Parts: sequence; C-alpha cells; structure tokens
Amino acid sequence: MPIVQPTSVGARRASSRLSSPLSTTVNPAKRARIIYGLLLAISAIFMIRLFYLQVIQHDHYSKAALNYQLKEYQIPAERGVILAQNGSDTTPLVLNEIKYTLFADPIYIKEPEKQAVELAKITGDDAGRYTELLKTPETRYVVLAKKLSREQHEAISKLDIRGIGTRESSYRTYPQGQLAAQLLGFVNEDGDGQYGLEQSLDERLAGRPGELKAITDAKGVPLVTNPDNVVIEPEKGETVTLTVDIGLQRQVEELLKTGLERAQSQSGSVIVMDPNNGAVKAMANYPTYDPAKISEVSNIADLSNAATNSPLEVGSIMKALTAAAAIDQQVVRPDTAYYNAGFVLVGDRKITDVRNSTGTQTVESTLVNSLNTGAVWLLKQIGRGDINERARMTWHDYMTKHYFLGNPTGIEQAGEASGYIPNPEDNDQGINVTYANTAFGQGMSATTLQMAAALSSIINGGTYYQPTLIHSEKDINGKERIKQPVVRKEGVISSSASADMVTLLEKVVAQNVPAATRSGYRVGGKTGTAEFTNPNTGEYYKDRFNGTYMGFAGGDKPEYVIIVRVNEPKIPGFAGSAAAAPIFRDITNMLFDNFGLTPKE
Amino acid sequence: MNVVTARGSIKQTANTRRKHRPDYWLPIIAAGLLAIGLVVVYAISPGMSVLKGVSETYYISKQLIAILMGVIAFIILSRIPYTFWRSKVKFLAVIALISALAVFFVGEEINGAHRWIQVGGVSFQSAELVKFALIIWVADFLARRKSKTELGDFEKTLKPIGIVFGAIVLIVAIAQSDFGSTMVMVGIGAAMMFVAGVPLKKLILLGLVITAIGSMLILSSGYRRERVVTFLNPTADCQNEGYQSCQALIAVGSGGMFGLGLARSVQAFGYLPEAANDSIFAIIAEKFGFFGVSLILAAFAVFFGRLTRIIERAPDDFSRLLVTGILAWFAVQATINIGAMIGLLPLKGITLPFISYGGTSLLFVTGALGIAFQISRYSSLGNKVKESGATSYENPTYRRRERRPHYATSRRSA
Repeated sequence: MPIVQPTSVGARRASSRLSSPLSTTVNPAKRARIIYGLLLAISAIFMIRLFYLQVIQHDHYSKAALNYQLKEYQIPAERGVILAQNGSDTTPLVLNEIKYTLFADPIYIKEPEKQAVELAKITGDDAGRYTELLKTPETRYVVLAKKLSREQHEAISKLDIRGIGTRESSYRTYPQGQLAAQLLGFVNEDGDGQYGLEQSLDERLAGRPGELKAITDAKGVPLVTNPDNVVIEPEKGETVTLTVDIGLQRQVEELLKTGLERAQSQSGSVIVMDPNNGAVKAMANYPTYDPAKISEVSNIADLSNAATNSPLEVGSIMKALTAAAAIDQQVVRPDTAYYNAGFVLVGDRKITDVRNSTGTQTVESTLVNSLNTGAVWLLKQIGRGDINERARMTWHDYMTKHYFLGNPTGIEQAGEASGYIPNPEDNDQGINVTYANTAFGQGMSATTLQMAAALSSIINGGTYYQPTLIHSEKDINGKERIKQPVVRKEGVISSSASADMVTLLEKVVAQNVPAATRSGYRVGGKTGTAEFTNPNTGEYYKDRFNGTYMGFAGGDKPEYVIIVRVNEPKIPGFAGSAAAAPIFRDITNMLFDNFGLTPKE
Repeated sequence: MNVVTARGSIKQTANTRRKHRPDYWLPIIAAGLLAIGLVVVYAISPGMSVLKGVSETYYISKQLIAILMGVIAFIILSRIPYTFWRSKVKFLAVIALISALAVFFVGEEINGAHRWIQVGGVSFQSAELVKFALIIWVADFLARRKSKTELGDFEKTLKPIGIVFGAIVLIVAIAQSDFGSTMVMVGIGAAMMFVAGVPLKKLILLGLVITAIGSMLILSSGYRRERVVTFLNPTADCQNEGYQSCQALIAVGSGGMFGLGLARSVQAFGYLPEAANDSIFAIIAEKFGFFGVSLILAAFAVFFGRLTRIIERAPDDFSRLLVTGILAWFAVQATINIGAMIGLLPLKGITLPFISYGGTSLLFVTGALGIAFQISRYSSLGNKVKESGATSYENPTYRRRERRPHYATSRRSA
C-alpha cells in the first residue's frame, strides 16, 4: 500500500510533534453539539411541516379522510306482501322470509379441506366444491351457499371459523305453493320483481330502501363511536290485496288441468272475471311452475302469464262481438232473418261454413250454429249492405274504441300483449277479404283477458270496466285504499243491445252446452275454434286448432264472465265445443255449487 | 472540593472519573414516551384486533409485557458498569453476526423479507441486536484508535470500519432486505466517527462513497425505486404503492390543531397499515393534533439534549462514543420514522423509539438507555476544563466558567 503509507506516517509524525493528545484540533463535545444542533434543525423542519399539514391543509385532509372513511349503504326495505280474497277474509299468497347466505373470505381460510367438510356437513352440499371455492386466489368474497335456514346459520356461527360468515337475505315465500304463479311472478336474486304482479307493481312492492351514511373501518363496518352517522330508515313496500279469490283460483286451476288432460292438450288458460267491475276473480294457466324453485324452470315461456301476454286468433267467439256491434248499430235485431246461400263471395274468395247453412238464417241461428257466412252477413249489414269502408271503419271502431282490442288493457301484469286488429284503411285489394275473416275471428288476434273484458261490457249493460287484479293497497302507514272500479267507456253498446246479447248467448248455451246451465240461473256463451298459422310458413295449419269458449253465469245480472282457451287439443271434434266448452261447463257448475250465485227472480 | 485535589494532580484529573447523581431526565422522559405509546396502543387495540381476528386485549397485553421486559432490561443494564461491555466486544460481535445469519435458517419470512428469528413461540428481530453490538464495537474500536491517534489512518481505522459496514450492507440491506435498519446503522457509525474526531475530509469522502452505494442499491431494487418515486409524489397513487404514505398524511392532516380525540380516530381501523408500530406517529397526530405532536417532538428534543450533555461530560472516549451511538440510534430512527409519516422522507419500516408497539425494539432501546443512564453517573472534570477553553490549569479563574455548584467530595459520594 504505497499510497496509504505516507499518510499514516505523516499522521504519526504530526502527532509526535504535538505535546499532548488532548490538544488535537478536534473537540468531541463541540462535535456532539453540532449533531444536537442538526437534530434541533430537523425538529424545526418537522414542526413547520406538521403545522402545514395539520393546520393549513387540515380541511383538505379532513375531506380526503371522509373520502375513504365515509361509506353509504342501502338498507333494504321489506317488500310488500301479496294477499288474496278468501271468501270475506284475506289470505297471503306471497310472504317474506329471512334466509342466510354463506360466504367466505379465502384469505383467512387456513385449512380449506377440513373447513369445507365441516361446512358441507351443515349445508348438505358437496364439500369438494367448497374446497375449490375456499382456495380461490386473489378474492376476498366467495358465496358458498344460499337460502340457508336459521338453524343452519346458527350451526355455522357455532363453528366460529375465521373468514366464514353468513349474511341475512330476504326471500319471497309462497304459502300457497304454485297457486297463481304466473299471475304473481317472482323476485330475482337482485330483489327485482320479474313477470306478473311482482314486475308490474315492483316500485310499490319494493318500498324505498333506507340509507346509512357512516364512518366505517377499512372493511366497511360502521364505527359506533361516530356521532355523524346518518340513518334514513327504509320504507316498507305496500301490502297488495288482490281481487283474486284463492278458493276460486285453486278450483279453476284444477278444472283447467283436468280439462286439458281430457282434451289431450298441452296448455291453456282460463280467466274468471266479475263483469260488473272488471275485477279478475281467477286467472289460471297451464303448465305452471313453482315460484320458489325458479332455477328449475326449463321452459322460460312457462314464466309468462299467457292469459294476458299471449294473443291468439280467437275464432268464432268473435261472432258475438260482431253481432253485438250490428245490433247496437240497429241494422239487425236478434230475430232478423235473411237468405243464406251456404257461401259468400268476397272479391275472389269464397267463404263457407263447416256445416250446410243454406236456407233462411237469423242472427240467433248464426250464433247458435256458428255460421261464418252469418258473421259476414252481419258485417255487410253494418256496411248497410256490403263490406265497404263504412263496414270496416264501424267494425274497427267497435273493436278498438268500444271493446278496446288492439291495445293492452292496462291490467297489473308485466308484458301484456296488444293483440292485433287490421287497419281498415289498408289499401290492399284484400282488405275486404281480411275484414270478412276478422268478423268471425280469423286474421286478427286478442288475448284471453281482452276478450273477457270485451264480453263483460257486452253483457253488463254496456259499460267497459278497466280489468284489474287489485282490490286494495295498504301503504306503510297502514292506510288501506280500496280501489274503485274504473269505467273506461259507458255505452259500449246500448243497454237494450246488451239485453239482446245476454238472451242470444243464453240460447246458444242452452242448445250447445246444456250441461253448463242450471235452472234458476242464466248462463250464456259462445264457442270458438280458431285456425292458427304456422310461424315458419305463414300458412294456416290444416289440422291444428285452438279451442276457445267465452261465456257468463249469474242470475238476472251476470255475475261471472268466463273465458277458456285450449291450445291444440287432440280430442276429436271441434276444438271449441269438444275441448273448451267442457271446461266452461265444469267452471259454471263449480260456481253454482260453491260460490252461491244469486238466482234470477 | 476538587479545587484542592485538582490542583494537586492535574494530569490525573483529566482521566479520572467522578461518580455522581445520574441523569434522571432520561428515564423520566422515556417513561413518558412509553406511556403515550401504551395509551395509543390501548386505544387502537380493539380496531386492530377485530381486523386481525385476535382477542381485544392481544396488542395491549403484548405491549405491557414488552414494557415490563424493557424496564427490567433498563434496570439491569444501568447497574452494569459500562466498562463491562468493552471486555465483551468480541463476544457480542460474534453473537450479533450469528443472529444476523440465523435469520435465514430459523427465520420467519414476513412480506418476502427475512428479518425475524423464530425460537419457540418468541420472534426476535436480529437487526436490533446488531445495532446494539455495533455501537459497542465501534465505540471500543474508535476509542482505541483515538488513544493511539490513528483516527485518520486509512489502514488502521477507516479500512476495518469500511469492512464492517460493508458486511452490514451485504447482510442487513441486501440479504435481509432491511434498508431502513441499514440506514440507522450507517447513521450511528457516521455520528460516532464524527464525534470521535475522524478528520472531516475523510468523513465526507466516506459519505460520498456510501451515498453512491446506497443509490445503486435503491435503483437495483424495484420496490425501493417505487418507494422513492411515490415519495416524490405521494398522493398520486393512494391505492397501491403510495397507499401507506397517503393514509399517513390523511391521518396527520385530519388531526388538525388539537386532534380528533383519543377514542375518535379512524385511520387505525384498517386504513393505515402498521398503525401500532411503524405508523404510530401518524395515529398520535390524528388523535392529539399539532398540539400533541409538538409535545412529542419537544420531549424528544429535551431527551436528545440530555444525551448530548452526557456526551459532553463523558468520563472517557469509550463512554462518550457509546452514548453518541445510542443518541444516533434513537435520533436517526425517530427522524426516519417521523419524516416518513409527514411525507418528508421515503417510508422505511422503522419503529419510533419508546412509542412504537413491538417487543424487540422496545427491549433494546430501553436496554441501550440503561447504558446511557449508567454512563451519566460519571463525568470527567478534566474534559470539562478543556472544553471551557482554559489554556492553563494554573489559572485559578477557570472554575468560574464551570457553572456548577462545587460540592465537597465527601458529600457527593455519601
């Protein structure tokens, strides 16, 4: 080390020259004071910085703190329950129930295999699936199981596993099982109403969620010590009482099911309605589903309420509507007679009847024998002798402005269909042919509900009531509002025309479905057998029909309107009379037996 | 008293220790700081225990045990004559080296860094023992070199020191990845060499070399580089790298003038990481405000002042350097810790002496204070005279510059 040595030698030489080691130029105490001075300077800088942060910038950091610490939570509101009429009382159709969701924070799970087995023993699930979930990396929240009971929740709490928790969730329960499933709809995992009433009345049923603004810890748990927490209590949803009678609904559902089996049909609908106020007393579809087991529904179409959402070419029941329009127009009376050639030529089309109709016919025989040619004759009378613009415009006016076809009725159901009434001003050459067909229920469509509401207005003296499912609503203050019937139109047809129609339809039933009648009561109705088109070709099926029946029952005043729809029955005979009429018959008999109708005087 | 004796033998006086009343300010201030730390740990214990899923008394009971052990360490070390450590330098150095290396064999890996030794149920941070042993070794080494006036000698002094610090950088900074502790040790070494009297030019040169090595280390490690980047712009990235700095600033700033109150602070509830140990200063700032932290800083200033006074009056070079090392230990840790919390220095993961939660740190800090307390029992008149600038011991007026009552020896030693 030749470079270093001279220095050390020099240092030694220098020190040897000094008289005493104490007289070195370095003073340790002085150097210590320099260090202390440096520390005081650092302290001063820190003080200035702290003053800047804590006093000058205080507001900025207070706001930044709230940014992290203040969290807003929704407090879910209890959803309103749905009740149904039960004689003079009410019975719940839909209630709420607290169930538990089992979740885990995988970061805290030390022994996933062991803990999965412990948990699966309680929930009855597959432990292997739990193990996989508990091992999920980079996740702080996995849901292991849903809808656990209180007992399961308590057993899991007792295990006291770190990173495992349960959370309360409110679920809909259905004390009546599948009853009125499509009518009610269901509530999905997010708490949103889906289909039926639940979707249609979602806002009112849901109530208003409350709000919690609170200073929380980093995990979001509110700190109780903070006085600035704000709580807005949730508002419970409204309690809705339906017009539907639970006993009637149950029996109608059963009669529909047995009737469909008898007719060898896969599906169908029935509506029972009070014609004097528009209240739906029963609304049944088949097949149905279990709203408590939504996940098991394989065909999504089963969720929809076909009675309001699925229009069809209604078939011959439309002849009653055409006849009512013609009588109201005073162009015919029930006994007006005419000569029927057995066919009608409209443009280049020849309209015929399924049976020989040649000879003298009346309005009454047109309905009794369900004559297509008779319906065309009625339309011609409306046109003062021919199918012309006047006939089309007048008929169209009755359908859309009197019977309110072609638009949703506005009943409290999600996804209600409009149906279809062809535009009378259509310049197409075939418009008169189309209208000749619509007069007996082909080439147009309507829902079961639309037909029920239209028939009601025809037989109740001529008042169109807004169809409804709601009897009353109870708001959070417990105040009950009973819904009054809403008149959409007076004088749909004149009261005398209405009386004529009641008598006419009564005669139709008396001749065709005598088993549906009962002495002392008035029962009327009309069958329908409707062709429908192949959705692929647009052509009518040659061998497939829908059967419909539209009727009423009561004393001097009709008390119930009943609409039956049977899709594609395989039973031999006309779909309307062979498949739908027996269901109508069963329902009227059931009404007479069990629901105490007022007999005529 | 010593007027007579001092006059009798001047040369002996310069090297004679006088025993007197120790400096009680040291334990009093330390006790105050310990109490503040304990109260704050007690206050935030429920919040932290909920988040960690341990019992509510977990933190406070561990801290109470740590303080109890610290008090015992203080009492024992304050009774051992400081000269004892000089005889055990080699033994201590070997123990420290073994503990530093043992981390890699019986150590517990926390956040990818080997810093803890796990023996039985007790975990132990080896860096604290290394600091303790380092101070004693450097004090002994420099005192020897000074007595031979070889402080400026490269071969005899600077090279061995350089080798020791090189080893520390290798083991603590690189292998243990504990850059903060390395900084503290470098600070300790620098302060001791400075007070010992290593020529300034050589110290500055050494400083430049260390800065160069340090910069290279920072740039070589990704997370350290990011720490520096986030330090330069702390609020830019509150979510990731800058999260702790950002939350610390929020805690400090939201404290305001008088603080939110002992029970009202929020940042300890999971927002600010290491709320009880590395980040405790920010929690104190949040709870007690500018007013409260001013008191803490004042307490540290007085505390360091007392230690400086002991350095000035130390009976010999070894004890003087020992206290210098202890002062530097406390001061550098406090500076790095508080500086990080108020966004003036990058985060280092270092405890605040006496206040932070943590057993190993408390045990060694209180133990070291015990040594300083023991040394404060002694002082040397000769040094005092020299400091007062007296050129001649024959001058009878020199005593006037020493503003201390002159008691009789018999009274003092009674």
